[in-house]
Amino acid sequence: MIRRTGYHVAMSIVSFLWVAPILWVIVISFRSFDDVAANGLGSLPHSFTFSTYKSAWEDADEFRALINSLLVTIPAVLLSLGLASIAAYGLARYSIPFRRTILLLMLMGNLLPPQILLIPISRFVELIGYYDTLIALIAVHVGFGLGFYTFVLHGFMRDLPREIQEAATIDGAGPGRIYSSVILPLTRPALAALGALSFTWIFNDLLWSITVIRSGEKMPVTPALLGLQGLFVSSWNVIAAGTVIAAVPTVAVFLRFQKHFVGGLAIGAVK
Amino acid sequence: MTGLAADRRTFLKGLGVLGAATLIPGCATSTKSPGSSGGASSELSLQSNLSSEQAKAAMENLVAAYNKTGGSQVKLNTVAAEIFRTQLPTYLTSANPPDVYTWYAGSVADSYAKKDLLLDVTSVWDSMGNYSKAMQSLSTSSAGQKIFVPTSYYWWGMFYRKSNFAKWGVTPPKTWAEFVAVCKTIQSKGIPPIGIGLGDTPWVASAWFDYLNIRINGAPFHRKLLAGEGDFTDPKVKAVFTKWREVLPYFDPKGKSFPFQEATSALLAGKTGMFLIGTFFADSAPKDALDDIDFFQFPIIDPAVPVAEEAPTDGYFASKKAKDPEGTKKFLAWLATPEAQNIYVQSSSGTAIPANPDGKSADTPLVKKGKAMIEGAAEITQFFNRDSSDALQPTADAALTKFLDKPDQIDKILADWQTAAQKVFKA
Repeated sequence: MIRRTGYHVAMSIVSFLWVAPILWVIVISFRSFDDVAANGLGSLPHSFTFSTYKSAWEDADEFRALINSLLVTIPAVLLSLGLASIAAYGLARYSIPFRRTILLLMLMGNLLPPQILLIPISRFVELIGYYDTLIALIAVHVGFGLGFYTFVLHGFMRDLPREIQEAATIDGAGPGRIYSSVILPLTRPALAALGALSFTWIFNDLLWSITVIRSGEKMPVTPALLGLQGLFVSSWNVIAAGTVIAAVPTVAVFLRFQKHFVGGLAIGAVK
Repeated sequence: MTGLAADRRTFLKGLGVLGAATLIPGCATSTKSPGSSGGASSELSLQSNLSSEQAKAAMENLVAAYNKTGGSQVKLNTVAAEIFRTQLPTYLTSANPPDVYTWYAGSVADSYAKKDLLLDVTSVWDSMGNYSKAMQSLSTSSAGQKIFVPTSYYWWGMFYRKSNFAKWGVTPPKTWAEFVAVCKTIQSKGIPPIGIGLGDTPWVASAWFDYLNIRINGAPFHRKLLAGEGDFTDPKVKAVFTKWREVLPYFDPKGKSFPFQEATSALLAGKTGMFLIGTFFADSAPKDALDDIDFFQFPIIDPAVPVAEEAPTDGYFASKKAKDPEGTKKFLAWLATPEAQNIYVQSSSGTAIPANPDGKSADTPLVKKGKAMIEGAAEITQFFNRDSSDALQPTADAALTKFLDKPDQIDKILADWQTAAQKVFKA
């Protein structure tokens, strides 16, 4: 009994530590600028206002920034998962020569720190005339995600029973049909988990957006938030409000796919 | 895979590397843009780093006013200051760069002129004869061309709350001895006399180095030192730190842990006595506290040294590859007029002073006093990074932060600083 209480007390403290920074941001987002300026960021709130949300929405143009983010994130997630699942299907279900090498090669790209590729990518995008477009950003995200998604999906598809595919072949299904009607539906938990993950990664990206985009009105939400910081002085309450707004889409996606996400984590846990 | 989600600092560090690397010739393969159209284009792009709410609105007003005058239409593009700083080399070396940029006068602009990236705006200066000599030399590249158009400046001073000084029974000091006496009095009331904010903003300490150096050794020595013609192990530099040690016990011990914006809150709340800072801090003050704020000039140490003040100058430069050089120059010439500068000063936070002597600054006692101080100064310096380079600033941050922690190791700190600075100058 004591052990159990101790466990709960300890875990409550740990969870509080985990949640505290988020709570702190939410509290700051409801404080007025004069309150923050006079009492400091760390003090207890002396004011309550919704105006911070209004100024984040209007001054940072967060609505347009969110639209830009979604315009990049949704196609990038769909494209990269679609391509990765086709690649994984081929590599996992057919004995393609050098398939191990191909897979390792794709994965190797992810071992490079992205900073190394900043100059080549920024120059290349400019060379082909797509600098400062959202298409460039989508292409970069698809390119970077592909290796890792293929690797994860490959592992999942490899473990699907051979007999299902054989039965489908006997029923007269070709590789395309087997992919779309048999393998893809069975891969859904893994796709949902990866979808939620990649959505968060792409949505929260800052590096690539400021590398390939120059115009303020095309910037996704992360650089727009950075734009709330002034040259010297920053309205932390407005930044906090902007951050809370920017977190909504990812939280929504996570809640929607939560079940798959937890299920997806257990993929391959038991052999 | 977490590479996609690494934190902002790592990203920006990487971007800094990107920015630096694109400046290296040969590494930056200049690409030809497929859509580059010859001849005059009707639109100029202005890349601005003034992203805070007020400054952004002021820029929008400014651009709207110019677009009404006819001529090329200007399109304002505001990006976050931090992104702008790291991406500026990329912007300038790209095939199709923005035409006009907000930036700082002095060697930070000259470093781009040395790479032959900036438009020669000598003809714009024909209409700017009334600008001060200091402004002219700040806007001239080392090759002797005018490359910059200054539009406003601000000043640094020792800021305090009038009501608190009255409560503690002290008056603004003029000399170093008086300053130390004021510190003693404030400390006796249980308040840390000198506020500072070095967490996240370690460059604030450079203001102390700058001011002590220009008060003890004079502005010419300071400029030479920052240009790499001096040596940080020079006994004259050590004298700066010997003086600094005299007031070190009066610094707010908490100042190392928070950024200058929090240090401003501490000053306003009466938790510190004075704060050596630029006027931009006023943007982070509640409006009702502003009337109670005053400043005094950094105390005079050696009356024989001509008085110099720090007045960082802001303005614009243009890309050498500007699509419509004549239209660009016309816009820059307009920015140099008192009318344009009045529009900006009136709608921005109000502590900036127009660079054009005929421009009207905000009509508050504080701004009048600041303007008089700068105009009365025999020499003008800007700030550590603006008088040297953004690359040298981190070496100063490292040395000064260490000095504040371990003042007795000054000889070793200065030797390390010299080594680090040498690397920057040789790069």
